[in-house]
Amino acid sequence: MPTLTPDIVPGLIATGASARLDEDVAPKFKVGDRVEMKNINPVTHTRLPRYVRGKTGVVQRAHGVFAFPDTAAHGHGHKAQHVYSVKFSFRELWGEDHAENMFLYIDMFDDYMRPAP
Amino acid sequence: MPHDHPHAHNKPLSDVELRVKALESVLSDKGLIDPEAIDLIVETYETKIGPRNGARVVAKAWCDPAYKDRLLTDATAAISELGFSGVQGEDMVVVENTETVHNIVVCTLCSCYPWPTLGLPPVWYRAAPYRAKVVKDPRGVLEEFGVTLPEDTEIRVWDSNAELRYLVLPKRPAGTDGLTEEQLSELVTRDAMIGTDVLAAR
Repeated sequence: MPTLTPDIVPGLIATGASARLDEDVAPKFKVGDRVEMKNINPVTHTRLPRYVRGKTGVVQRAHGVFAFPDTAAHGHGHKAQHVYSVKFSFRELWGEDHAENMFLYIDMFDDYMRPAP
Repeated sequence: MPHDHPHAHNKPLSDVELRVKALESVLSDKGLIDPEAIDLIVETYETKIGPRNGARVVAKAWCDPAYKDRLLTDATAAISELGFSGVQGEDMVVVENTETVHNIVVCTLCSCYPWPTLGLPPVWYRAAPYRAKVVKDPRGVLEEFGVTLPEDTEIRVWDSNAELRYLVLPKRPAGTDGLTEEQLSELVTRDAMIGTDVLAAR
């Protein structure tokens, strides 16, 4: 019997599979915190893109606890942790010749960040 | 039956098509999938789930301030009130365009996209040129879509590369005061809900 059969498709599509976890994990950051993305270069799966590595942003919104893709994608466990929307200015990301009123928001995991100096 | 779509038949399959067929064969031969299940998934997204869902969410938010508040604070719950939920919409965020702010959504990792409200992403959304350029030069990308925003409009680019999926709540076009919610929903384009379109005044 195949795992994916037509009879389960409607239910699968309607329900999905959230990566959100119902685990009681303490957040490392809060809204308003200035945070620096770690400058790491994993050769395995990550959701920390190069263009934000080493850059400083501000936590805008706390999304709750999710599975950590860097470990989960490789079968190394969920490593449940908080995810936040982090706001970066274009000047921080791309240089001082960029307009002051342009911003990039990206969802970052606890393990990607440290308090900004 | 007319048959006038613009592709040549009997052409060799592209690399991607071959890879997809190979994957499907392997999964099917190993007994992991029933090919009919794949057909059903494709059919669902071709005929049942698409941007008309998102347009209904947007039109309701324009007409019902309490709904809009719920949508901006807990988008997943507010969207599921209209019956839209599931794969790639499990955890939703809605961002609002205003007189002073314009939002644009991208996934620089791959092609993350809110399926229950927008269906499957267009080819350009999945393509490297859009993903690479919009995070650095969103105004340039907007120009390519024929959209010019005033210099003093704040631009917010949302890279949905983690687990949240984003839908833009476009500005309600001017001159639409007399329209019903249903008429309004017909004005909402897919690209306006990605942020690469601005709805024209009526």
